Amino acid sequence: MTAFAIRPGQALPVGASVRVRKHPPEQHCRTPFYLRGIEGEITDVMGCFRDPSLLAFHKPGLPLRVLYRVRFKQADVWPNYSGSPKDTVVADIYDHWIEPLAGEKA
Amino acid sequence: MTERKVNDIGGLPAGPVCQDEHPSTLHEKRVDAILRILSGPKLEAFSVDAMRRAIESNTEEDYRNLGYYDKWIRAVRDLIIEQQVLSRDEIEARVEQLREKHKKVAA
Repeated sequence: MTAFAIRPGQALPVGASVRVRKHPPEQHCRTPFYLRGIEGEITDVMGCFRDPSLLAFHKPGLPLRVLYRVRFKQADVWPNYSGSPKDTVVADIYDHWIEPLAGEKA
Repeated sequence: MTERKVNDIGGLPAGPVCQDEHPSTLHEKRVDAILRILSGPKLEAFSVDAMRRAIESNTEEDYRNLGYYDKWIRAVRDLIIEQQVLSRDEIEARVEQLREKHKKVAA
């Protein structure tokens, strides 16, 4: 997987609060169902990558998508979560699957 | 379109996960080799993304019941047909040929 450079102003910053969108899944979808609609925090900006939902159909995978590493609280993900409130889950999410919460800007 | 695909099972109720190790069978090694030759830099017949998509297009029942490498080899078959590396007829003809050969060996 080749990472491409991110243009200035293209990506949300580390620390930004985001919500995973509730789109219907693509025919090849890399965003797990259990995270849809859940709020989390960006911990890393991994770079730009070809879009796997298009690569899956032998297409060039354009436009490139920014890939974020996003951290979620387990207690926000699972109803009646019985572990520590500090427990987290981290997932790699492409830009078209997240929306910034109010006030967050690229 | 459905809300979640057959492979997207994180968080759904399931039984215990078997974590026993076992040595790879010859069949499994062959499937792995076929996949790597076809998707590798020399042929690039299809991408890992296409491979995943083909596996995800199994029915729920097949997705649950087929073994890991059985899903792989089915996906490889579907993709080489889709990419016109081989036709379905060519594959079927070769399978039939091998069946006949094995029958003779067994007899």
